Amino acid sequence: MAMPRLPDQEFETQDIMINMGPQHPSTHGVFRMVLTVDGEVVRDVVPYVGYMHRGAEKLCETMDYRQGIGYMDRTEYLANFNAELSYVMAVEQLMDIQVPERAQWIRMILCELNRISSHFMFTGAFGTDVGVFGTAFTYSFIQREIVQDLFEEITGDRLMYAYFRPGGLAWEVTDNFVERVREVLTQVKQGLKDVDGLMTANEIFIARTRGVGTISTEDAIDYGMSGPALRASGVDLDIRKTEPYLYYDQVDFDVPVGEHGDVYDRFLLRVEEIRQSIRIVEQCLERLRPGPILPERMPRMLRTPPGEVYIRTEAPRGEYGIYLVSKGGNRPYRLKIRSAGLSNLQALKEMTVGQYVADAVVILGSIDIVLCEVDR
Amino acid sequence: MNNELFGFEINVWFDALARVGIIVGFMTVTVMALIYIERKILARFQMRLGPTRTGPRGTLQSVADALKLVGKEDLRPRMADPWTFELAPYVVFVPIFLGFVILPFLLDWHVRILELGLLYFVAVSSVNIVGWVMAGWGSDNRYAMIGGLRAAAQGISYELPLVLALLAAAMLAGSLNLNTIVVAQAHIPYIVWQPLAFFIFFVAALAEMNRPPFDIPVGESEVVGGPFVEYSGIRWSMFFLAEYAALFILALIGASVFLGGWAWPLGEELGRWWQLVLVSAKAGGLIFLVFWVRASVPRLRIDQLMSYSWKVLLPLTFVQIVVNGAVLVYDWPDVVLLATGVVGLGFLFWVTDRAVRRPRPRPALVAQSEAAR
Amino acid sequence: MRGIAKSLLTTLSTFTRRPVTREYPDVHRPIPQRDRAFPLLLWDTEIDEPFCTGCHACERACPVECMTVLMKDNPNHTSQGGSSSRRKIIDKFWIDYARCMRCNICVEVCNFDAIAMNNTWQGHELSVYDRSDLVMDLQQLLAQHRAGDIKEWVAQ
Repeated sequence: MAMPRLPDQEFETQDIMINMGPQHPSTHGVFRMVLTVDGEVVRDVVPYVGYMHRGAEKLCETMDYRQGIGYMDRTEYLANFNAELSYVMAVEQLMDIQVPERAQWIRMILCELNRISSHFMFTGAFGTDVGVFGTAFTYSFIQREIVQDLFEEITGDRLMYAYFRPGGLAWEVTDNFVERVREVLTQVKQGLKDVDGLMTANEIFIARTRGVGTISTEDAIDYGMSGPALRASGVDLDIRKTEPYLYYDQVDFDVPVGEHGDVYDRFLLRVEEIRQSIRIVEQCLERLRPGPILPERMPRMLRTPPGEVYIRTEAPRGEYGIYLVSKGGNRPYRLKIRSAGLSNLQALKEMTVGQYVADAVVILGSIDIVLCEVDR
Repeated sequence: MNNELFGFEINVWFDALARVGIIVGFMTVTVMALIYIERKILARFQMRLGPTRTGPRGTLQSVADALKLVGKEDLRPRMADPWTFELAPYVVFVPIFLGFVILPFLLDWHVRILELGLLYFVAVSSVNIVGWVMAGWGSDNRYAMIGGLRAAAQGISYELPLVLALLAAAMLAGSLNLNTIVVAQAHIPYIVWQPLAFFIFFVAALAEMNRPPFDIPVGESEVVGGPFVEYSGIRWSMFFLAEYAALFILALIGASVFLGGWAWPLGEELGRWWQLVLVSAKAGGLIFLVFWVRASVPRLRIDQLMSYSWKVLLPLTFVQIVVNGAVLVYDWPDVVLLATGVVGLGFLFWVTDRAVRRPRPRPALVAQSEAAR
Repeated sequence: MRGIAKSLLTTLSTFTRRPVTREYPDVHRPIPQRDRAFPLLLWDTEIDEPFCTGCHACERACPVECMTVLMKDNPNHTSQGGSSSRRKIIDKFWIDYARCMRCNICVEVCNFDAIAMNNTWQGHELSVYDRSDLVMDLQQLLAQHRAGDIKEWVAQ
């Protein structure tokens, strides 16, 4: 894509630097990347992260296990249940708690619903990046609202649920839970049809996304990418399948895998994941039985024996891992959050260099970062 | 040296001033109405309500916005080129404003009907590209510069298909006078004979107005407003005014040249108000189409935009013009025109479809593993 | 072009649907009973005093340390000739709503069911011009339940 040089020696072209962010409308939060562009072609990109760093890991080390749950919500504000899940599973593993069956099923339903709402956030924001004036955004946000209304009825909050507890759930779900979830699913299916009809087949959308931001399978693995961004490059790795947690081994679902590793594949993959999540939730609802939501004997104050544990789960953006070191007592000695966003973001340069400025925005959108999770 | 305006004899200079005043006033009101309508319609496409709180059903929202913009501080970046920066809005605004002169609203209701009206419009309206480049260059902002250069590239590329598509229709009428063109369509509007030219005109007009999917120069998610990024207050509102005035003008031109203006389908003998209703319905339909497209499609990339113009639209307009010429010179039946139009449209759609079905490169490992298999 | 046509049809179909907008300040969405806005103190109407004994349980459990609690001897205790069985009672209580992260832990740790999350719209519409106005004192915290405005929901 090299520009032909003019024969005149006097004439020189100069690369210019563009500072994109942290107050740029399409950097998905306070993210800054410095682009070196030659005309419209990106020659170099330097991402700067850390504007959102709040020291969530350190904060959690100063708090007991129950207090930490609220901070997990805030590290991953689009998939809070998935983040909470990793954390409570780590504590459960350390304390060797058996979680009642009903609690596990409800966790699974909520996590998958949260995956749906997170992927809808992606389709909406990505649509705006590609340039659909707000339509994709409203379509997706209507669906997100529907899911969030359900979450609010159950947990009491629209965003920061703080609902999972080591051992189970904070409280029982509402009486009409099953009907409400089914109702939400039918609405989400309709909404998915809208988003799908608006974007997937649109020629301009395809022209903008196909073959853009390609990353090879090797590179994707080397950068430590995970989640849909990795699967779009052709790696069939889903922690729900490879290391089933909760009851993912008992439900039937497919893991969509792309083969081109470009932006379009990443988009299609996420849309397909919404469908698979709907399937999972429907199966979970069949299996849901009344029962306790917390183990019989739970200590009032959670104290873990010394030890260390690494738990990883498949969050919407990829592997969300919690590394927890305990030296006894009621608070972690060290808590490390392995966020998918940070690793996925590393590949930005690989994907962006050589593409157009307009593509840089689309590629960043396709990684689907949450800056709170990246910076913690 | 007296002229007649609304039945009054006045001095030519006052006459000119009065006409300018009328146009500016009319334009401002139209633009404000258009902005309000666009917001309402876009909102409905997105299942929202749009403005509701200012005035009854939000009708005063545009007025409130205009007042706010006028009251805002007019900022100029310290390093900006003062003359270029300050003059750019006028260079964008005035050509669009001049385009109002030739609009055939009704049979005898217009500012001036020029014998070369279409040529005048084409010549005048392309000047505003200079203003975009000036705004981009003068702002001393890199986003603005990229936006300005994009605007220049896009404006020049799409000027040609736009002009040639209009020319194809003008050839059938045998005149560049807009009123003559309208009268010539009293029985059958040119969209029937020239569907391809109409489509190309519509696409090129979208690009000329920087409306989606061709809002590349202002691309909100890429260059955050492009050339306007440093403008505020009244100067910014002039860009906005120009954008919506261009929408209005191009819709009226499209309605006159391709949809039969006030003449079709009910003819000239109709009363003035019915003619007005006809024209507004046609132009309104086109404007609605523009809003509809805006709500539905993503933005193209600059290289795709350019290649679409130069490699697809421009050759097709040439073909259409050659066929038109042949039909006129050799007296071929009119059906040939329609056939070319339909075939051309089919070809256009086929090319567009083919462009997106091109095979993509695949990552190394997948290709390897498949080769091994 | 077929894809673009499909997009256009999709938007047209939503054009004909009803808008989903709620005109917020005029129309308040009914909020579920479990809604958590900000913590409130509850009023014991039988004895006409707060439930809270100022035991500091919530203050200690709060992850963001947004609470300040002071306790005093209850002047209304039976030993003083009053009608209450609470030996100690809350004297001063401040919650800084600007710091509160609405995690519900204070409600869970309370042994007297004396604190609950506000589940009315008043708990959400709290815009002020000064952050110090968000530090609520005992009277403000008790006022809403005392007036019977909220039906508290406490997890079992």
